[in-house]
Amino acid sequence: MKLDSSRSLLIRLFALAVLVLVTPLSILSLRALGEFEQGMVPELDKKAAAIGRDVAGQVSRALGYGIPVDRLVGVDEFFSPMLEANPEIRYLAITDPVGRVKFINGVDRDELEPHYRSADMNAVGADGVKSSIGAYMDLALPLTAGQTVAGHVHVGFDQNHIATRLSDILADVAVVIVSSLIIAFEILLFVVFVNVTGPLKLLRDLVNRAGHGDFTHVPTSGSDDEVGRFLRAVQGTLRQLDGRYRQLMAYVDEVRSGHFDKGVVAKVGDVADRINFLYRFSPSGKPEPMVERRATDIRLALFLFVFAEELSRSFMPLFAGRLASSVPNVPIDLVMALPIALFMAAIAIASPLAGQLAERVGPRRLFLIGAVPATIGSLMTAASFGMFDLILWRTLTGFGYAMATMACQSYISHAVKSDRRAQGLGVYVAAVLTAGIGGNALGGVIADRIGLRPTFVVSAILVVLAAMLVSRLLSSADPAPGEDQPRPPGGRHLLRLLRNWRFTVLMVFAAVPAKMALTGYLFFLVPVTLSQQGWEVAEIARIMVLYPLVMVAVSPLAARLADGLGWRAGQVAVGGLIGGVGLLAPLLLGGGPLSIVVSITALGVSHGMSASPQLALLPDLCWTECRRLGNTRVLGFSRFVERLGSVAGPILAALFIPLWGMSGAVAGLGVVVLSMAVVFAIASAAYGSGPHIETEEDPA
Amino acid sequence: MKRRHLIAGLAGLGIGAANPVLAQPRPRSGEKPFRIYMALFRGWEDCAQGFKDYFVNQGIPVELIVRDAGQDKSKLAGFVAEAKEMKVDLVFTWGTTVTQEMLGPWDKPDPARHITDIPAVFAIVSQPVGAKVVPDLVSSRRNVTGTTYLVPLETQMALIQSYRPFSVLGMVYNPLEPASRITIDELTALGRQLDFRLEAVPVDVADGKPQPTSIPAKVAEVKAAGALFLYIPPDTFINVNRDVLTGAALEAGLPSFAAAENPVVNSKAMFGAVCRYYPVGQLTAYKAEQILVQKRAPADIPIDAPKRMAIMINMPVVRALGFYPPMNLLGLSEVIDPESRP
Amino acid sequence: MAWSLSRKVSVALLGILLSTMVMTGAFGYYKFQSVLSDQVNSRYSFVVFTIKRKIEDRLALGLALRALRQIQELAELEKARDSQILGIQIYDSNREVLFDTDRGTIGSRVPSTWLEPLSAQGTQPFSLTDEDSALVGLPLVNTLGKVEGAVVLRYPATYLEQELGRLLQRLAGEFAVVLLGSAVLSVIAASWLLRDVRQRLVAMENTLNQSVTKGAPAKPGRDAFEGDFVRFCGKAREAVEQIGEASDEVERLDRLA
Repeated sequence: MKLDSSRSLLIRLFALAVLVLVTPLSILSLRALGEFEQGMVPELDKKAAAIGRDVAGQVSRALGYGIPVDRLVGVDEFFSPMLEANPEIRYLAITDPVGRVKFINGVDRDELEPHYRSADMNAVGADGVKSSIGAYMDLALPLTAGQTVAGHVHVGFDQNHIATRLSDILADVAVVIVSSLIIAFEILLFVVFVNVTGPLKLLRDLVNRAGHGDFTHVPTSGSDDEVGRFLRAVQGTLRQLDGRYRQLMAYVDEVRSGHFDKGVVAKVGDVADRINFLYRFSPSGKPEPMVERRATDIRLALFLFVFAEELSRSFMPLFAGRLASSVPNVPIDLVMALPIALFMAAIAIASPLAGQLAERVGPRRLFLIGAVPATIGSLMTAASFGMFDLILWRTLTGFGYAMATMACQSYISHAVKSDRRAQGLGVYVAAVLTAGIGGNALGGVIADRIGLRPTFVVSAILVVLAAMLVSRLLSSADPAPGEDQPRPPGGRHLLRLLRNWRFTVLMVFAAVPAKMALTGYLFFLVPVTLSQQGWEVAEIARIMVLYPLVMVAVSPLAARLADGLGWRAGQVAVGGLIGGVGLLAPLLLGGGPLSIVVSITALGVSHGMSASPQLALLPDLCWTECRRLGNTRVLGFSRFVERLGSVAGPILAALFIPLWGMSGAVAGLGVVVLSMAVVFAIASAAYGSGPHIETEEDPA
Repeated sequence: MKRRHLIAGLAGLGIGAANPVLAQPRPRSGEKPFRIYMALFRGWEDCAQGFKDYFVNQGIPVELIVRDAGQDKSKLAGFVAEAKEMKVDLVFTWGTTVTQEMLGPWDKPDPARHITDIPAVFAIVSQPVGAKVVPDLVSSRRNVTGTTYLVPLETQMALIQSYRPFSVLGMVYNPLEPASRITIDELTALGRQLDFRLEAVPVDVADGKPQPTSIPAKVAEVKAAGALFLYIPPDTFINVNRDVLTGAALEAGLPSFAAAENPVVNSKAMFGAVCRYYPVGQLTAYKAEQILVQKRAPADIPIDAPKRMAIMINMPVVRALGFYPPMNLLGLSEVIDPESRP
Repeated sequence: MAWSLSRKVSVALLGILLSTMVMTGAFGYYKFQSVLSDQVNSRYSFVVFTIKRKIEDRLALGLALRALRQIQELAELEKARDSQILGIQIYDSNREVLFDTDRGTIGSRVPSTWLEPLSAQGTQPFSLTDEDSALVGLPLVNTLGKVEGAVVLRYPATYLEQELGRLLQRLAGEFAVVLLGSAVLSVIAASWLLRDVRQRLVAMENTLNQSVTKGAPAKPGRDAFEGDFVRFCGKAREAVEQIGEASDEVERLDRLA
């Protein structure tokens, strides 16, 4: 185990988390479910009795009029509406006094007759007799004609009915446990990093310097745990050493200034020079505390923030749809799509500005500033009463989102200068992805159980938590604003990027359709379609989570493939084609959940496959521009362009619905995405072996 | 809120509904109740009660001016004059006689003797077309609408079908009665729609009179032609000879359906259906509401009978035939069974 | 109180566990409650439906609602069958109670809000609450398709809570036991998992003390980190010595004069 690496420690602790979370929750859930099932049984019995009495009463009336039990007419028509109206009843049957089945609806008579023939039906009192037959709970009630028992009515309940009704609880529990594990992972990562590996990594740097005689810095530690104590020991040693050095120097100065013998002064000077040559001490008079920023510092805050926004992912269009009645003359589908589109538009517009602001005010302050509109936006979304104010609040939230995420990106990009760049990006992507999985799934459950509006309040609380975390943890770590940043060239230069046809083709025919599919299909059409088919929000969320899950699974494989083959453009093209074809699934499989699962999976594969090669292509395709404008600017601009796709996606999908219906809209979007992917595939073949350079370090 | 006070006020009076003449809902301040002149012939009965209850239940303020002719046709001219003098909002006429006398024939009503300017609804008129009250059931083409109380033939056929699907329907009729001809034509047409054949056999006529003694043979003839049910129309000759007809049907093992109450309740028809007067009164009030509240022209409101009817099953006959009714139909029916045990 | 590493980790884990348990518990409970109340509701809806059917069949026979005297007996029979039913009422569209298992209230008025579900004219049962009882009802429709009134069944609103109360208490007990067990387990396990870190930190601290203050030679480290640390200790020791020697030399030179 390496002390300054989080990995092994984290693995162990995460294993503990799994043990401590999953075991008790599983035990309790199963116990509770068992109790719940037991609790339901008496209720079902009572209902069976109520139905049985009614049926027995009506049949007995017929028998009372002298109709023989085996010559009853229209029993099928009599039974079937009851079975239809009460799904927990699986069958209704009438038997004669010796247990022969005369009429039955719901199941095959052979399943039951042997049981009835062998049972002692004379024992059935007026309250009936309950018995278990296979998967059914059978309630037998006597049929009377005058004073004699002319047969029995049987009401059969599905014993699994309760379990089926309650199975949603298990799904909820599973989602909550998985989300909790994700949160636990993030928090453990945070605890381990802040308390152990962060300080120790820093210590190692320091120890390395000191090992070469550089004693200018001391480790800092505010904590009183084992690591803190150890750091203080090292600090003590270093301070002591520094003290001795200061003493020596003071002595040397005293001798130099006070001594009359120039020779001695020179010799003392030599001694001092020798020490100063061998070792470096802080020139400021005392050792400086060593501080360094790491990408991981901000990870938990970023995670919480994105998590908060993801909570409403599965029901945003549905929420908008419920408020839609307040907008006359605008098609309902468009009304449902607009909050998503405008949220995306707000992000697209605000992100470049927020990026500049980050350089001016620093990431910490930008995050805190961004948390304000995000919190207000979420709270007001919860309280929104109409379409227009909902759009306003979503836009506001979008601005906040842009600021907070740009703050994190800026923080990470500054922090990782000493680290490896890819790792920093990895921290960002990992936090966003895990938040996407956990937030979406958990949000669906929360929304189903406590309501859509309260879920937005939960979002607001999480945003505030993230802001508090940033405000507390990054307080000392913020850089002085206005670092030596060369003012980057303005937007007009960026637009020139579009003259680079390779760049433009990549953007318009690969990046934009990918985002269009994501927002138009996954964020908009999927919740709307599934909700129309009667799925609950929690279930919708569980299906939507497939996308990030598939992406997480595919991305590393794709990255390895990209490294191995170096065929980035091709990978982007293949990914785009897969996504487009996947959206055509409703044409083959109908509009049901299966086709949605296929489409979402295809989308996950598609984006998992093309996302990182697409990013990596940028410096290849426009290296001159990257050199002139800086990678960050080019990257930022490409983000802006692809976000236009995010805005267009839901609107396009909404416009398709009235034309071709839900499945048609999915397929329509698929045709658009697929044809763009085809264009890209053809064009990318012409990329040829154009000018390539290695990915440069970001000059900004 | 205002409306609720009104409903409360009306319902308070509704408790005293047993004495209908007193039941004149208090006018609401600011809005006058509708004044309806009710011309009755045989006193206050279910139809009038249904008519009145409808307004009470719907919370429509009405003032009912109730006049009973007591089966005395001569009083009706006075009713016409009184209604005109009182300038009532609507006239309700009960039965064919009152309707004919007060509203006149549809093609030439006499403004002096008949109600013409005031909208009118009629009830308990068995043949509004035959009685020349209206030209057809779609529209009266004048200031009148109303209800019939005969179950539509189509509904009767659907009911028989629900007892048991059939392909041949038998009927024994009096060839001297013109109404029988109309019924046969209508049933033949319906048969084409509903996929059954009508086997209609006239009774023998001697000396210009239908012969009841020929009925059993005719019933047997119908049965031999493959009829599953015998249809008994609401017809005077048949009603008089119902015991012979239904007895013959039972003898022949032929289930019979009657479009009247008597053959089932007081004879041996197996089952039957009629419209009760109470829902007829409600339906008539519903049409009055359309005229008074929704301001529709009476000529635009078609004349019809209530959609649902009272179904009666004669259980001893069912048992004798061993031809049992389906459960659902049994649940909907009034069972006539003197030896009933439940 | 010192916050050792294992304590911090345990607290983080238990915090997550507690909130997860509360969340799953609350969600599961809400779901169960809704399933159970659906079930109770569907049972009573069925009872109400049978009464509605009988009333409407009689209405179809052409009788006035208030004239259906047998309905009173029917309602009383249904109430007698289920001790949980508080009462069954039939009221007309003027809010007047026509029949009631509590005969004393016949002729009185139901709250005006009880008419609201009737305007919907749906065939779905409606639910109402009235003080401490819950009601499930169905509108009564006559042959004209007009609502004549409604039949409602009253049952204790606290019925579910009573049923669930005992169950929850039992579960809460198990909840606490499991939480406590997990707490103990996580403290022990975390401490055990972090033992290695702790021991090595202590070992390194000792190395530091030994090497810098007493000049003992540092043992070679087990990995790169410890290797670096040992070199650091050596360098620090060396620096201490160098500075000491330098001090001695300066002092010697100072005295020389």
